[in-house]
Amino acid sequence: MSVVKSLARIPNWDRPAVRHVLSRTLFGYNREDIDFALNLSMDEFIDNYLLADASPPDSPGDWVLQPPKNTTGQENRANLKELTYWWYELMRAQGFSLREKMTLFWHNHFTSDFSTVKFPQLLYMQNALFRANAFGNLIDLTKAVTIDSAMLIYLDGQTSTARKPNENYARELMELFTMGIGNYTETDIAEAARALTGWQIKGRFPIFEASRFDSGEKTFLGEVGAFNHEDIVDIIFRQDATAEWFCKKLYIGFVYHEPDAGFISELAQLLRESQYELKPVLSALLKSEYFHAEEIRGAKIKSPTDLLISPLRQLSQADPVYLKIRNLSIPLQQELFQPPDVRGWVGQRNWMSTTTYPRRNQFTDVLIDNKVYTKEKIDIVAIAKAYSGSENPSQFISEVVEVMINFQLSESRINFLLQALLDGSAEYDWSTDDPQAESRLRGFFKTLMRLPEYQLS
Amino acid sequence: MKRRDFIKRVGSLAGAASLSIGGMPLRAFAKPFFNITANLGKILVVVQLKGGNDGHNTVIPIEDSLYYNKRPTLSIPKNDAVKLDNLTGLHPMLQPFKEFYDNGMLSIIQNVGYENPVRSHFRSTDIWLSGSDANEYLSDGWVGRYLANTFPDFPNTSSPQPMAIQIGSVQSLLLESQHGGMGVTIEDPNTFYQLVQGSEADNDPPPATLAGEELRYLKQVAARSLLYADVIKEKADAGKNLIAYPNTGLGNQLSIIAGLINGGLNTPVYLATLKGFDTHANQLSRHETLLSNLATAVAAFQKDLGLAGLEDRVVVLTISEFGRRLRENASDGTDHGTAAPMFLIGKNVAGGIVGDNPDLTKLDRRGDISHTYDFRQIYASILSQHFQTEDAAIQQILPGEFATLPLINNNPNSVGGSEMPKTFALNQNYPNPFNAATLIPYSISRSGNVQLNLYDIKGRMVRRLVDRRHTPGQYTVQLDASELASGIYFYRIVSGEFYEQRRMTLVK
Repeated sequence: MSVVKSLARIPNWDRPAVRHVLSRTLFGYNREDIDFALNLSMDEFIDNYLLADASPPDSPGDWVLQPPKNTTGQENRANLKELTYWWYELMRAQGFSLREKMTLFWHNHFTSDFSTVKFPQLLYMQNALFRANAFGNLIDLTKAVTIDSAMLIYLDGQTSTARKPNENYARELMELFTMGIGNYTETDIAEAARALTGWQIKGRFPIFEASRFDSGEKTFLGEVGAFNHEDIVDIIFRQDATAEWFCKKLYIGFVYHEPDAGFISELAQLLRESQYELKPVLSALLKSEYFHAEEIRGAKIKSPTDLLISPLRQLSQADPVYLKIRNLSIPLQQELFQPPDVRGWVGQRNWMSTTTYPRRNQFTDVLIDNKVYTKEKIDIVAIAKAYSGSENPSQFISEVVEVMINFQLSESRINFLLQALLDGSAEYDWSTDDPQAESRLRGFFKTLMRLPEYQLS
Repeated sequence: MKRRDFIKRVGSLAGAASLSIGGMPLRAFAKPFFNITANLGKILVVVQLKGGNDGHNTVIPIEDSLYYNKRPTLSIPKNDAVKLDNLTGLHPMLQPFKEFYDNGMLSIIQNVGYENPVRSHFRSTDIWLSGSDANEYLSDGWVGRYLANTFPDFPNTSSPQPMAIQIGSVQSLLLESQHGGMGVTIEDPNTFYQLVQGSEADNDPPPATLAGEELRYLKQVAARSLLYADVIKEKADAGKNLIAYPNTGLGNQLSIIAGLINGGLNTPVYLATLKGFDTHANQLSRHETLLSNLATAVAAFQKDLGLAGLEDRVVVLTISEFGRRLRENASDGTDHGTAAPMFLIGKNVAGGIVGDNPDLTKLDRRGDISHTYDFRQIYASILSQHFQTEDAAIQQILPGEFATLPLINNNPNSVGGSEMPKTFALNQNYPNPFNAATLIPYSISRSGNVQLNLYDIKGRMVRRLVDRRHTPGQYTVQLDASELASGIYFYRIVSGEFYEQRRMTLVK
């Protein structure tokens, strides 16, 4: 077991390295995707594909331009669903980009929810902000979020006034968004709340109302001045704790759920050196020996969104029924635009309870057997035939496992899968043209996706 | 990860690898799970009010002008409050609690909090669920520790019925122990049963890696759902609700819990949740709805248990991560505060208001009240008086000497409850003769150590039933004799100079 802890580059861009990067950065991948990435150099793939800037996607509809007051509650609920379906499709069809996973990361970091915000057009704007700044500058993003319309509603900024400042955003800005508890005092919260006053929403956009702003002198994190919201964010980014906090969140999001302070410090140092530009940090992280260490491969429990979207790409399904997928995301505990609270989804083991785990198994069963989550029943035989090893059971299984399982399977597991595929027949009798092949293949894929290893990434 | 951390993990995995399914043997309970009766059939239902319930508008200081001054728009007018005594009223939506109060079924504990209060939802929730100090980080819950202590055979042997049930989807820290999750999380018994169909356990040992550790966790969750789906369904089918519940989230949760208790599930702890108490804005209408949901659901639950004759066994406890600031903010809401009142509801609670209204003249720098009682005093009182957990065990579950409060009358058979016995007494066990389980009542009139032992006919001690310090009161201990042979036994109590002995007959 090699134990490394550094940002040093891995020497070999090989199949296992490619699979690990793909599984942590995309929503599903297939065999061609592995080959594509392997044919490029690591630098080329990570910097020119995963981290490439791209133009914004078309919006989900004209409704996103409607001023909030012009839409009814019923329209809002329907539009929220459209927004979710639109985002799912971006995830499914994103190609080789880290952008959608980062957009989800920011949604889970700078949280807002529909039941409080109530207007999906504002959540769309927030989502677009996250996408445009997916791997941009953290100071810019934090300033923009601070006066983002959805956020002004979600954490009560729009009702906070000089006379009676509301502490909600100020507290979460420091506790959850930038520094973490223990790096500021209750007085800092009260002072920041004063500096954040004055912002309201007009139509879809934030506007500054000077009469509501507390223009007086504030003492914040040891500095004194007549601060406004930009000053507050600038001061926050002068604290060492801030880079550590963002890197800790990135580490938990992309590497492993138990923070490692030593490695996070290395990342934070890099983030400060880059003036809070995220791209160099992500680039170094994804190429590092630490990220590629054997012992953390497969150690991440898939989020419900990952679980729901990634098989579409693994199984080449272009016609999903997002309505059903969204419905299921609710009991699986990741309804998009509806995080459980301001901390967002905790993730990892929190995804898995005695209720959600059996539900995940039920999803993969139904996906393989019925047309519920896809418009047409999955043509499992055609999917199998696309594998070069389709007529050789052992080779077939190892090829499928390479795409669908991110965990080193034991020999007994592989054998278990072989028995599931053959279903009593002999290995040399196997053919995808056999009339029994379809039911055997369905049984095999269901068994594979019911393995607890399938839940890992 | 550091090398030494990794080695440590591998070590813990290697230890667990000898157990069958990640520490959850599926059919290992061929012999009776002795300790399932260790809690005397008592049940605790925790209702978590998420977001920080505003204590000032829940239990209202109706004569305190400071309260009315600081809350010009949000205060509850004296005439609207449900008056409990000259100084104190309840929020109007808590009207159903008035009946409990009048019948001595509601204890209100004032100003409950802890030293150096934390105003973060997440950190303070962890503190309340784990039972830690403000600066102490625990990865298990106080109920998880109680269950681990009460069922010491776990995880080598699994309890045939769940040790705890949480209605919901995300497992709570409350039920975590050093052995992993002690509870089962269900939405409702039928859904749970249907979901688990088609699952099977596997015995493939996970590799000793960090990823393997996650795999082991997944296998444990799967095994737990498999293990309990049948019994939960069976008991839910056998049970029923004797009245209609309000069609609210909490109403549904409590109706499921009452149905399971009614059906004979002997799970000792349940967790239900009511969300939305973070009322930074538009508090009046939101808080009204929340408290109405709380009161109507709990009232239905109590009535249901009463009709089923089960109310002796159950207490309901409300917890919330903090109260809210006295002074209202500009958004018609209140910001995060500190201490707040707690409710304890049930037929055997002592009843009444414990402690005075908060002293609003003594606020801290942020404008928040200080606590009178540490929240762990309430936990310790429940452990001691409801579950009759021994003091030494309470020390382990809640380290740090938390003085109990007289919250629960601990003898379910006493009438009048709080009357202190004047003499020692060892009463006849009932039923007698008995098959497997029987109850032994006794009374203690002076504080001191009490031993109650069981002897066979040859005078050999076969079981130590009680060995701990008692305060004056009436007690009952349960004997589970499922592992003893039929015959005549003697039980003897010794405390100071007092000594008495009786006989019992076990017929299998």
